Amino acid sequence: MRKRLLARVSLLLLIVAAMGILSGCWDNKDINHRSLPVVMGISKSEDLYKILLQIPEPSQTNNSGTEFRFVGATGSTINEIVDRIGANMETQMDLLHLKVILIEKAYAEEGINDAVSAFMRTNVISPRTMAVICDEPIEHFFSKIKRYSRNNGTILEDFFQFDAGWSPQVAQSRIWELFRSVHSFTHDEAIPIIKSGSGTVIETMGSAIIRNGKMVGRLSANETLLANIFNGLNVKGKIEVMNSATVQIVGNRIHNKSSMENGIPVLKSTVHLKVKLLEMKGNPTKEQIKEQLQAILEQRLQNVLNKMKADQADILGLGQLYRNKLKRDQLEAWRSQYLPHLKSDIRFKVSIESEGELKMGA
Amino acid sequence: MKLFERVILRLGQDSDFIRFPTTMAGESVILLGYQTFFDFAETLRHLQAQSARIADTEWEVTPRLIQGLGEFLDNPDADMLVSLVLRGQLLIWFEARDRIISFTPTARILSRSIEAPITESVVRGSISAFVEDIDTNIGLIRKTAAAEDLRTHTYWTGADKQKQIVLIYRERCANPRLLEGIIQKLEENLGMNVQNLQNLSSMLGFNPWTGITKFNSTELPQEVERALQKGKVVLLLDRFPFALIVPSLLTDMFAVENDRNYPLVYTYLTRFLRVIGVLTNVIIPGLYVSLVSVNPDMLRIEIALTIARSRMDVPYPSLVETLLLLIILELIIEASIRLPKSIGPTLTMVGGIILGQAVVSAKLVSNILIIVLAATTISSSTVVGYHNSLTIRVFKYLILFLSAIFGLYGLVAGLVLICAYMASVTSFGIPYVHLMRPNGDANG
Repeated sequence: MRKRLLARVSLLLLIVAAMGILSGCWDNKDINHRSLPVVMGISKSEDLYKILLQIPEPSQTNNSGTEFRFVGATGSTINEIVDRIGANMETQMDLLHLKVILIEKAYAEEGINDAVSAFMRTNVISPRTMAVICDEPIEHFFSKIKRYSRNNGTILEDFFQFDAGWSPQVAQSRIWELFRSVHSFTHDEAIPIIKSGSGTVIETMGSAIIRNGKMVGRLSANETLLANIFNGLNVKGKIEVMNSATVQIVGNRIHNKSSMENGIPVLKSTVHLKVKLLEMKGNPTKEQIKEQLQAILEQRLQNVLNKMKADQADILGLGQLYRNKLKRDQLEAWRSQYLPHLKSDIRFKVSIESEGELKMGA
Repeated sequence: MKLFERVILRLGQDSDFIRFPTTMAGESVILLGYQTFFDFAETLRHLQAQSARIADTEWEVTPRLIQGLGEFLDNPDADMLVSLVLRGQLLIWFEARDRIISFTPTARILSRSIEAPITESVVRGSISAFVEDIDTNIGLIRKTAAAEDLRTHTYWTGADKQKQIVLIYRERCANPRLLEGIIQKLEENLGMNVQNLQNLSSMLGFNPWTGITKFNSTELPQEVERALQKGKVVLLLDRFPFALIVPSLLTDMFAVENDRNYPLVYTYLTRFLRVIGVLTNVIIPGLYVSLVSVNPDMLRIEIALTIARSRMDVPYPSLVETLLLLIILELIIEASIRLPKSIGPTLTMVGGIILGQAVVSAKLVSNILIIVLAATTISSSTVVGYHNSLTIRVFKYLILFLSAIFGLYGLVAGLVLICAYMASVTSFGIPYVHLMRPNGDANG
């Protein structure tokens, strides 16, 4: 009995000791010994990457806000640069809190495949990090936001957050979605394009069409909204301007029917929109508003489709609907062979749910 | 007589032992007993009155009258007499006839009167609590339970069989296996000295190293009533103002009978609150450590920065920091139990100052940690019963260390370990996580 107890106790001690020795817990660094960059800017010129990091600096001396440090370096690979910056910092570099990756437009046009796969490979960056294209030199942009970020340290992050400043005409794209678009035959991404604004900190410039990691075209803000609706994002609160009225979309539902006819993909879609009337010009009837809205939306979506066909980039993920109708080698040619010939019949069905607090014609 | 002299020889050197020769009903008698157990003058007056009543009776003709005095002892031995005296009986020895009567004297009151509970406050409900006197306690239970199938068994334990343990159960409700097991253990180990609950626990054959208390102790008769109804068994110890309910189950951590004096919704809400309290207490220190030093990526950036700011210049890693304050908190809890009530507030004040401001401005710990530990301490008191809060307090450290090493994985692993441990504990075949409910009652 006593012997068994002794054996048990020593086994327990052994486990506890092993836990201490084998766990590697001494590598844990406290949060105040880590740098937590929130924004990373990437540009590339002549095979050299340039990286800028925006790092919040907690300081106890002033309670007025967060100080920021902007550090940058150039080098041949992203990880090497981050490592070099980290070596020069007094704290450990921890990219897990990175919220936004800003990509300079020139680099995006050149192709960001390497960077995206580097991020996915090392796993030091959360795959949920937002990818954004910057329509001006990164340094310029950073120097602009430097002035504002004293009051609000997470401006850029908040801009893209669903529960903060995101608005429906801004595209949503995460690093993992970019990675998917690089490797998928049938799905491309739209990345938001921003630049520093004059009154507001950030000005949205629509979005970029990315095909296989390369920026090949642009969408306007209104077209991005439509793409978001089509992709099933819940874009409540968006205001649509027409000749006769302004409405707010309160609900959307899409029904797609895809088929192949003689080797040509045919798509029949119905988008049901529930809208709420906000403002009217003159005295249009409900029917007029509906018809105009439907016509405008159909026209716009046709524009998006035309751009997709021209750029051979499937940002709406239409190819997904043909996954069960095409063979794998055919899917491989989806962008070049099938998408440009897509016959589409997309209808918008609008129902006006609410006239607001006033009756029509009042 | 040899026998009587032997008793006197064994107890006679005590200063409160009396040997009082007197006459009763014309016979000379000697009274033996401890005068500290009874009111001697009152007892004597009572005896004189009795003796006047039986003055003319013949022993042989009407023995019943004399028997009315007390219990006639046939063939007594010295041990028996000593133990009777020690239990507070007065021995009357009729010298001429060589007969001994064990007389129950007017007892001196050696207990508090029934008061409100000291460790379990009742807001709405009966507030009579148990006292040291075991008979009073049994009476309280009988009065509260008011059931005809309430059974009591008295066991005299200890080397000289002086310590009384009373087993109470309800014949119709008690779990038969539990009852049998307890009775068997009690009878097996009657010779053991029971001075405290550890003794009692080893008497009942429980593992002394168990991390979960096997007795649910309560001061309130209505708790006992409910427990009896649920089929549990209650032990009462003489001079111990708590009823011990066996087995103690997980639900006893969250539920008290008094909850049922409120509308059902509030009963459940209160119990849910206690569950949250226990979880908070167990998880939060570990969560703090793991979020601050192992998995800061789980925090939102805003709070990460706030914590980082509050931890600036703090010299210790978060585990040491947390342990430091946790130990001070434990010291405060322990000290406030130890201190007399009149000095207690001083301690609270000093403790409050130390924890509230000084420690933070001295940059020894971060002020977020103060919030965390305040939440921990407050929530450790929401659990029912001090004995249960001890368990929770210890589990907290397991989680804390695992979190410091493995982060959130460690935290979850610790919770799994605790659950597994609790699931492994049984007493007399009843698992700790079992829910015992009264027959025909849907909610326990």
